[in-house]
Amino acid sequence: MSISRISHVPPGSQDLLADAVRRRRRIQRTWFELAERSGYAEVIPPTFEYEEVFTLGAGADLSRRLLRFVDRDGRVVALRADFTSSIARLAATKLASHTGALRLSYAGKVYRQAAEGDHRGREVFQLGAELIGEAGVRGDAEIFGLLIETLRSLGLRDFQVNVGDVRFLRPLLDPFEPAERERLHTAIDRKDRALLAELGGSLPNGNGVRAALSGLPDLIGRGPVLERAAGLACGAEAAEAISRLQALDRALPEDLRRHLVYDLGEIRGLDYYTGLQLEVFVAGAGRAVGFGGRYDDLLALYGSDRPAIGFALELDTLAELAGAEPVS
Amino acid sequence: MWDRSLELFGSVDIEVDPAERGSRRLIVPSACGRYELLPVKSMDVPVYVEAGVADAGIVGMDVVRERSADVLHPLDLGFGACALVVAAPAGTAYPYLPTGETARVATKYVEIARDFFARAGVQVDLMRISGSVEIAPLLGLSHWIVDLVETGRTLRENGLVVLDEVMHTSARWIVNRASHKLRLDEHQALIGSLSRAVELRETVT
Repeated sequence: MSISRISHVPPGSQDLLADAVRRRRRIQRTWFELAERSGYAEVIPPTFEYEEVFTLGAGADLSRRLLRFVDRDGRVVALRADFTSSIARLAATKLASHTGALRLSYAGKVYRQAAEGDHRGREVFQLGAELIGEAGVRGDAEIFGLLIETLRSLGLRDFQVNVGDVRFLRPLLDPFEPAERERLHTAIDRKDRALLAELGGSLPNGNGVRAALSGLPDLIGRGPVLERAAGLACGAEAAEAISRLQALDRALPEDLRRHLVYDLGEIRGLDYYTGLQLEVFVAGAGRAVGFGGRYDDLLALYGSDRPAIGFALELDTLAELAGAEPVS
Repeated sequence: MWDRSLELFGSVDIEVDPAERGSRRLIVPSACGRYELLPVKSMDVPVYVEAGVADAGIVGMDVVRERSADVLHPLDLGFGACALVVAAPAGTAYPYLPTGETARVATKYVEIARDFFARAGVQVDLMRISGSVEIAPLLGLSHWIVDLVETGRTLRENGLVVLDEVMHTSARWIVNRASHKLRLDEHQALIGSLSRAVELRETVT
């Protein structure tokens, strides 16, 4: 019997050496100093949890990507695939008796299955924060402030935070049958003007949804876009979403506001988001390097109904961008 | 697709020096100096754009789907229209073979075919072929093929008939997600002028 020599690691995993490690450590140090100073205490949730933690709130897409195994007692366990879900469980159980707002931060890996050729890798190093128990626009502004300060303290200058709200989009999908809804979802996600016009065109002339769908690809930009969006909002929930974004826009000081772009046609993200959603883009990276949003109903799944908002940044991409900058 | 693309770019004042057109340069600058054009293989266009080394690209919707590229595709440019179909020699059984065997399907579009047959509930063995797909059923390599048809002439010349339609495709303007957000005004302006150029051409023809 021979033992085969193992010469490489499985696809989507990686070894990190010397400078790559130093860059990541530096980013984590900067992050935790800032988080502590801002009142966000670090938590370390377990590396594996019962799979329901990741399937209940986050939705089918994440559920399909879990790395699972069967535990000694026959229950199915999954490697941590999402910090927000773990922290929501933690906050709704062990910290349920805590009164007032909870401010929590973290850094560590999440594990997700990825197809071959998918550049995302199967282990993704994230850092982030969650603000729990603060329902108002003050909480939104605090999280945006922390996010932008984090990016700045990492030496990044040319970055942008895109903000949308699922409540604006939900009524636009309502008039359609499930099969059409799937096509419309794709059309919105890809900003496919022809398909949006085609699907919107199947609705009667003068229908509000029809007008909103044809205007959607252009509902992207700074503050004034929100006024146009208010004119196209279908229903009370969508109107409330826009006025909330306007309140956020007013609440932020100019040096933060200039990093925000409103994109009402943004439909991606995990299922548990209930309101505003954000994506972070940094010059030099071809894909989003951060995600987040409001998940006011997630904690209720674990037994404690509290509103929450948070964000996560992908440390590997940030380290790559930091590596491209001249060493100071 | 390269020539049609240059023609479209010309109509929105993105000109390429005629001397550069036929050259073998890998990066072709526009006359105005604002753009650099990369003539790459169509299957590679979504790869460049998704990774963000190119801000935008022109490629068929079939290729976008086949590569499952996570890119925006805001505009249908109208040209390069054709259909992706299931075809086989006249008289071939479809969608089930009378012997109960699993049908072998030769195609360049393995991912699209996999998705199409899975949705239809038809079990198939897919074989990846990179050219002259029409020959596969004639040599007994496969029972059916999935391939692009523009006029149907190649199919007819080889005695093949269309059994089913998988999708319609045409050239799309595809855009990198991050670039679209970070250079929003430039992208929206370009999408606007390309869209007007496409409409204008459609009303003329």
